Amino acid sequence: MSHLLTILILLPVAGGLVTVGYGMLPNRREENFKWIALVFSLATFALSLLLLRGTGSGPEFRFEESVQWIGAIGSRYHVGVDGVSLWLVLLTTLLMPIAILSSWTSVTKQQLAYYLFLLLLASAMIGVFVSLDLLLFYLFFEASLVPMFFLIGIWGGERRIYAAVKFFIYTAVGSLLMLVAIIGLYFIYANKFGAGTFDYVVLREAIANGTLAIPASPTEFLLFLAFAIAFFIKVPLWPLHTWLPDAHTEAPTAGSVILAGVLLKMGTYGLLRFNIGLFPTASRAWAPYIVILAIIGIIYGALVAMVQPDVKRLVAYSSVSHMGFVVLGLFSFTDYGMQGAVYQMLNHGVSTGALFLFVGMIYERRHTRMIGEFGGLSTPMPWFSTLFVIASLSSIGLPFLNGFVGEFLIMLGTWTSALSHAWLATMFAGTGVIWAAVYMLWMLQRVLFGKVTNPKNEALQDLNVRELGLLVPLLLLMLFMGVYPRPFLDRTRGPVEALLQQVQGSNAGGSIASIEK
Amino acid sequence: MDLFFAQHSLLPDINFSLIMPELIVCVVAVIVMLLDAFGRSTQRWITGGTALFGLLMAAASTIFLWKSWPGPNEAFNGMIVLDELGLGFTLVVLLVAALTLLISIVWVERESLPAGEFHSLLLFATAGMMLMASGNDLVIIFLGLEILSIATYVMAGFRRTDVRANESSLKYFILGSFSSAFLLYGIALTYGATAIAGMPGTTNITQIANRLSEAQYPPLLFAGAAMMLVGFGFKVATAPFHVWTPDVYEGAPTPVTAFMAAGPKAAGFASFLRVFVFGFPFLIAAGERNTAAQLHGAWVDTLVVLAILSMTIGNVAAIVQNNVKRMLAYSSIAHAGYALVGFVAAGAASDPVQRNAAIASVTFYLLTYAVMNIGAFTVVQLIARAGDRRTEFEDYNGIGFQSPVLAFALTLFMLSLFGMPLTAGFVGKIMVFRAAIDQGYYALVVIGVLNTAISAYYYLRLIILMFFRERTTAWTAPPIPASIALALVLTVLGVFYLGIFPGRVINALQTKPVISVSQR
Repeated sequence: MSHLLTILILLPVAGGLVTVGYGMLPNRREENFKWIALVFSLATFALSLLLLRGTGSGPEFRFEESVQWIGAIGSRYHVGVDGVSLWLVLLTTLLMPIAILSSWTSVTKQQLAYYLFLLLLASAMIGVFVSLDLLLFYLFFEASLVPMFFLIGIWGGERRIYAAVKFFIYTAVGSLLMLVAIIGLYFIYANKFGAGTFDYVVLREAIANGTLAIPASPTEFLLFLAFAIAFFIKVPLWPLHTWLPDAHTEAPTAGSVILAGVLLKMGTYGLLRFNIGLFPTASRAWAPYIVILAIIGIIYGALVAMVQPDVKRLVAYSSVSHMGFVVLGLFSFTDYGMQGAVYQMLNHGVSTGALFLFVGMIYERRHTRMIGEFGGLSTPMPWFSTLFVIASLSSIGLPFLNGFVGEFLIMLGTWTSALSHAWLATMFAGTGVIWAAVYMLWMLQRVLFGKVTNPKNEALQDLNVRELGLLVPLLLLMLFMGVYPRPFLDRTRGPVEALLQQVQGSNAGGSIASIEK
Repeated sequence: MDLFFAQHSLLPDINFSLIMPELIVCVVAVIVMLLDAFGRSTQRWITGGTALFGLLMAAASTIFLWKSWPGPNEAFNGMIVLDELGLGFTLVVLLVAALTLLISIVWVERESLPAGEFHSLLLFATAGMMLMASGNDLVIIFLGLEILSIATYVMAGFRRTDVRANESSLKYFILGSFSSAFLLYGIALTYGATAIAGMPGTTNITQIANRLSEAQYPPLLFAGAAMMLVGFGFKVATAPFHVWTPDVYEGAPTPVTAFMAAGPKAAGFASFLRVFVFGFPFLIAAGERNTAAQLHGAWVDTLVVLAILSMTIGNVAAIVQNNVKRMLAYSSIAHAGYALVGFVAAGAASDPVQRNAAIASVTFYLLTYAVMNIGAFTVVQLIARAGDRRTEFEDYNGIGFQSPVLAFALTLFMLSLFGMPLTAGFVGKIMVFRAAIDQGYYALVVIGVLNTAISAYYYLRLIILMFFRERTTAWTAPPIPASIALALVLTVLGVFYLGIFPGRVINALQTKPVISVSQR
């Protein structure tokens, strides 16, 4: 059990190797690849549930493993989970089998490579959330690009090449600057203590108790910025979001689910873990500006989503808006706001993941995603419509569904935060919820309700058992997270409060005073 | 341990054990020539096999010298030196030669070229490179460079009936001779400038370093260093001395291109490093009115400029190429730039530990570059077929799932050249960037990573062509001969090994040979 995290990282890779091995057999059958992938992803999910038992409410890391990796560079293989990363790992392992099931009939070409890339992606994503060594984190962060690049590029829509390259280069540029900052941190530590380290726990400890003072401006600001840009691109924060609508729209359904469900969370997770954890002073100093960008993103994403003629693009822009909420919560530096942000990460993964599944299902039936092509789908597809409405309401933030809890906590946190004009920020962010209702409900009305105007829609099949099977867990989760968030928040509280203390305890320089109440 | 001629022989300070690897390679080269002359003409496996065996023997004796050589670490009056720089690069060039041999054995046969000649030329070139790595005297380095260059000129034009190969060979010859002249002139000026009262000048690198502060004619010394810098800059293909590279790489037969991009570049860096880092070392802080300090500051600053130019010009020009070999040529210029980043760190380091770590980072970088680059050229060679006819980008359209093994191998090499984590290229870049940040060259490293981002564009382009586009013309998968398959497996495994478990290799490169006390 002590190697649970390593097993979780390596199991999907093993699945990939098995898939390749099976593909070399002379009497292989194309349809068996997905079974192999499904079995391995379910096994990963089942194993990841074991993490729940070992993770309490404290801020410390559990299931830690730490061995020397590249001694000459000073990098260690150090992994562990706390109450925040635990949920993100579970979200990843839950969405993987669902993504694989969603491709069951829609992916027909090059299935071997398709499932191989999905499994490799799963490993990289789990690795990102459990790495406690900066170089190891960077490695997984960057490695997750390649499978997604192929998934978009080979199995994507018409403009897939453009979208894939844009996705890759945007993310790579951001993360390369982070690499410089990571090496920079190493030597800042080395100058003080003789030997450098990439170990997150060691670095954070040293920064938190003041033994390692990162030289103030501009060094700390530049390091902060190098990390932040990498994560802002990934989140994505306005105005660095332009890769997202293209990538989401062109990716195959499973790719969109994973992108929205997990890859975007790498950005907000990184902000929480590294930016706030390692640069508390700079985080506080720059919080007002980041909050402004987040609010612009919330409103901009919602407004642009409203006018999209393509359902998938609409959902993609709604992600920009929702992820803005997460960033807002993180940089409110209140207990409510930050926990709400973590909760909202999970919510967004579940509900937007589900929305992309619905979009994928109608695309598979009609080979179009244009809102204008649909109308009155509730008549031929009652089950589909009911569940679609529930998922949409969850995304809007209706009480008793998960989205409400997260957004409410974030807004509560923002209102009570130490930012100047906090109430104004909350008001503006609050309009985002209203806009969300507008664009989602309007879209639902045009797609699902009214009379069937297009004869092609009359005989559409309702959900089959497989589709129901992959949607029901997500919908149940939406309900559960909406009425009983305690088990989630209990575990996130410890790490978030520890971070919060660190931020509030960080030595406030002259530049901070202006944002204090 | 007096293998052949002991130290007690009549001539003082002759120690053949120290140049054992070079000797083995030379002797095997002669044997290969004789086999070719007197053996049957169909037996090219024999010459190839013999050459490979010789390279392995040389590698074994190098490792022996590194690990358990008990004797002195210099010989021939300090002309040959045994240190981690020389031994590390010796192993790199031996690896390059062995891989080149593997990918060229079948090629020579298919194009009906004289195999024995090719193999012995390759071995002579290797011997030259090894001398460049272990020579501690400007004359030895020049000698090694010329042995290497003359063999390479011939190899570049080895396909005599091919106009492109002839053009490539001639260009390389003319420009190469020109740069050799620069180097030689630089050596001569340095010799003159290091003459001090009562003693003639010196070409010994250790001696040069000792005499820097008392140099009689500083301008002469500066001119000599500058000319040597130009000569080496040409050999390792850094901008602005790079213009020959694309044409020569494109025209030369693909296995020879693979060799030229990896081997001579590594050897060039070996002696470039030795001459500048050890010959014109950091002595006292710059700003003093001291020749040594001024010279040191000047060459380090020049290399910073060269590094930025090479990375930027190489990467930007590579974007617009439509020929894979030309693209890889510009990429090789860019990689010379990345290696220069580590070089700058080695030059700027005042602390010997940091300096050696930086030198090891350059050695490691060129090792990773050799592995992934030869791997890439192996695939290019297979896809190009006989006569190197298919080297345009469009020839790669949609072959991804038609020849998945080749396409995925090439993808891996491209990602490694880009510097994707888990591949060799990533660790190589980390090493040189780390060394540079250690010396405070933040801006240089930021320019380096931005260049890496630019390079994503053209490395990805090949992947996009292979996997994301549909093939419109017919495609028959090229057969993969056993020797090439072996080279491919070795390079793929090498890329992963150096990318995931590089610790042992890096540690070895930073380890000094056992005995470092001179017995004289």
